[in-house]
Amino acid sequence: MLDVAKQAVQAAEDAGADYADGRVVIDDDESITVRNQEMEGIDRSTSKGLGIRVLVNGYWGFAATARQEPEEIERTARLAVEIARAAARLPMDPVVLSEVEPVTGQWHSPMQVDPFNVPLEEKVAMLMEATRRMQSIPGLSFGEGGIDLFRRRTFLVTSEGTELEQTTVQSGAGIEATALGDGEMQRRSFPNSFRGHVSAAGWEHILRLSLIEESERIATEAVELLSAEECPSEVTTLVLDSGQVELQIHESIGHPVELDRVLGMEEAYAGSSFVRPADRGTLQYGSPLVSITADASLPGGLGSFGWDDEGVPAQRVPIIVNGVFQNFISSRETASVIGQTSSGAMRADGWAHYPLIRMTNISIEPREGSLADIIGDTKDGVFMSTNTSWSIDDHRVNFQFGCEIAWRIKDGRLTSMYRNPNYTGITTEFWGSCDAVGGREDWTLWGTPNCGKGQPDQVARVGHGASPARFRNVQVGVRG
Amino acid sequence: MPGLIGPDEARRVADAALNVPGADGVEVLFMHEWGGLTRFASSSIHQSTHSEDTGIRVRVVNEGRVGVAASNDFSPEGARRAADSALEMANVVAPDPMFPGLAPPAPTPDHRAFDEPTAATTPGQRADRVAEVIGQCPEGFTAAGAFETLGSEVALANTEGQFCYAPTSQASLTTVVTGAEGGSGFAEVFANATAALDPAAVGKRAADKAVASRSPRGLDAGRYTVVLEPSAVSTLVGFLAWVGFGGRSLIEGRSCFSGKQGRQVGAASVSIYDDATADGTLGIPFDFEGVPRSRVDLIDGGVFKGAVYDLRTAKLAGTTSTGHALPPPNPEGPFPLNLFMEPGESSLEDMIASIDRGVLVTRFHYTNVVHPVESTITGMTRDGTFLIEYGEIAHPVKNFRFTQSIVEALGGTEMVGRDTELASEFFFSASRVPALKVSSFNFSGRSDH
Repeated sequence: MLDVAKQAVQAAEDAGADYADGRVVIDDDESITVRNQEMEGIDRSTSKGLGIRVLVNGYWGFAATARQEPEEIERTARLAVEIARAAARLPMDPVVLSEVEPVTGQWHSPMQVDPFNVPLEEKVAMLMEATRRMQSIPGLSFGEGGIDLFRRRTFLVTSEGTELEQTTVQSGAGIEATALGDGEMQRRSFPNSFRGHVSAAGWEHILRLSLIEESERIATEAVELLSAEECPSEVTTLVLDSGQVELQIHESIGHPVELDRVLGMEEAYAGSSFVRPADRGTLQYGSPLVSITADASLPGGLGSFGWDDEGVPAQRVPIIVNGVFQNFISSRETASVIGQTSSGAMRADGWAHYPLIRMTNISIEPREGSLADIIGDTKDGVFMSTNTSWSIDDHRVNFQFGCEIAWRIKDGRLTSMYRNPNYTGITTEFWGSCDAVGGREDWTLWGTPNCGKGQPDQVARVGHGASPARFRNVQVGVRG
Repeated sequence: MPGLIGPDEARRVADAALNVPGADGVEVLFMHEWGGLTRFASSSIHQSTHSEDTGIRVRVVNEGRVGVAASNDFSPEGARRAADSALEMANVVAPDPMFPGLAPPAPTPDHRAFDEPTAATTPGQRADRVAEVIGQCPEGFTAAGAFETLGSEVALANTEGQFCYAPTSQASLTTVVTGAEGGSGFAEVFANATAALDPAAVGKRAADKAVASRSPRGLDAGRYTVVLEPSAVSTLVGFLAWVGFGGRSLIEGRSCFSGKQGRQVGAASVSIYDDATADGTLGIPFDFEGVPRSRVDLIDGGVFKGAVYDLRTAKLAGTTSTGHALPPPNPEGPFPLNLFMEPGESSLEDMIASIDRGVLVTRFHYTNVVHPVESTITGMTRDGTFLIEYGEIAHPVKNFRFTQSIVEALGGTEMVGRDTELASEFFFSASRVPALKVSSFNFSGRSDH
């Protein structure tokens, strides 16, 4: 496949490109869903194609095709150049790429057991048993389980001499219990909502999740939620589990520090960011306990790779250090705008899309203590677990999140269960109110497999390491 | 430029999968899409793309066991490999006792929605149209957005003898104009043909709104009478489809309309239906299992009439499919993709003039479900939010967060706009809807801009 990418680069240069990269991507996915011991769906998909990105006189063009015949490669390369030339009809400052050393190499995400080689019968049997156990809980309406497997092979060639082959295998699974009654629907998920916990790992990751062992507990909680008290509406102390801290990081830190968003490139879609280039080193983003790092080299992270889709090596970048904003995640183009080099964050959703700045693994650095320690240290407040909804404004300032379940914390102990919990806040005020971040023992490298961005829409799988954390003076229990 | 592959070639490739030995039934869904998107920001073109892809999705049934495999290898060999893979999967799973069978042969409505010039739009033509949008920006304002032109064709063949095929095209233009003092405006337009778009009008509408929304003032959160422009209404209708109009969620008691068949769920002026072949939408005349799409009245005169169904949920409900299946496998069940809200008799100006104190909302942003059974959603206003006082626009206001039941909002609908627009929602397909005046809408918070 490197040969196809090389042909693409040559064809683009022949057509007039000043810079070109050719990227062949082969995606193989497998998905299994079981509900109440019946198959909801079992499917595989495969997609292969070539994307060609060019710079002509400082303007970008991109074209992609599913076919790899020489004539088709040449046609697509000429089209990419035509697109770049058309862009020049509206003048702008020409794109300048920050420097990157050309590199040749191969990379494979760590994996012990190839999940695509595990017999389908074994996968189905695991989900059947988990849903059987959920169904054994009286009052449960639906017990559902799913397994998702992804394999992406990428072959990248650039006109600057980079030649790379990378393979990433990602595996995920989860279970979900739903109880219905009296106009209420309550749901509990494990290990996380929205298809569970996806990791850049093999079948061994799924076996470690203990889906069967946890199935009866979450089914019981779903049923109990039907008769639980509504989360009260109040300003209080809020403790979040690591799964919810994950999404809080994603929406209110990960997206706002994407440099393309900061520079207005996403304005018309999901919006821009309240963070400005001049904020580096000065903006108090959170309390001194909040340190955030983007690390594309974390084993198991959905945002891990050897090199990004511009051939920039995986890096560890401090984003927030002791509460103060320090760095963006960037591309070669955007980094040059602020006089830096790329942080290595450009990734495309398969072969048919243009690379965008995407989160790598953006994580909160662990501090001290377990979730139990944080709760034990809280006199009065609410503990929320497992995300169920999210929303944030077009500058990433005002947010509202919902969780599946909550409990009252009273004198260091969990007491009453609450249903329909949610909370709302302002990004920097919220992170500024953080007065506890859990330690390594409860820090989990979660995967967010459904991050949307760009036009045409692209979906990225990104990672977030998170510990449980505590926040003061938070509005909870927002009602319609 | 790519072009139509056509029904004959689609059928030839599908036949390689339909003939796989060892299967009781096979269905092949063929999709081919090509097109370009010219994306602009800060009044320059910064990301432009073009792509072409073909997809085949094969569903194989063997003794009630179902497997699905998809590939973008559009060749008889690729189709056969997908069929073999689907059969392998089908053979390891338990039978689905409610499998309804594949769609029987049935004619589909003749619905010509393919415009060759639109599918063949060049990058230069798109750039020129974008320039027309940007040309509307006054001094100190810039435009961002996207202009996309697409050609596509969908075919479905199965071993029951059903074969259907439809080519379509689409042109869409969206822009957000922003500038000094926090001004921000939005406009969009969708059509089957590029010639039907007026880029300058889209740019002017967004620019006028951006100028009008400069220097927004803070306004306390709370309940207000609101006028929702069509884009904001499309968010309500799109999410109502998600939490309410699917046959599966209705049967299972998860829908906000479960148990409410025939009951009043909105004001008498509210009627919502789905119709893929009506003028003014961008539908195809059959669903993704080959059933002809029917018009379905969902809410009529404020009364909930029923949901949409695919073959499986129709069997569960003891009814017939309305032709609303999504591509298999589809655990979420059927979904309406071509929604309409019936227009009323009011102009936007009439609605504003009728309000002593209220808020005009251009559009919503990043909406999500809070409580599906209560149809409660949350999101933000964006790109033009204004205080109405004594029947006139008083001044722009900073953006609100809303947390609101859709059904409650429909129940409080006092006026319905006489003009409709095809308007998009972040997560869903576009709906053709009017503006609404709603008596009480819950703004639960606000932002800083």
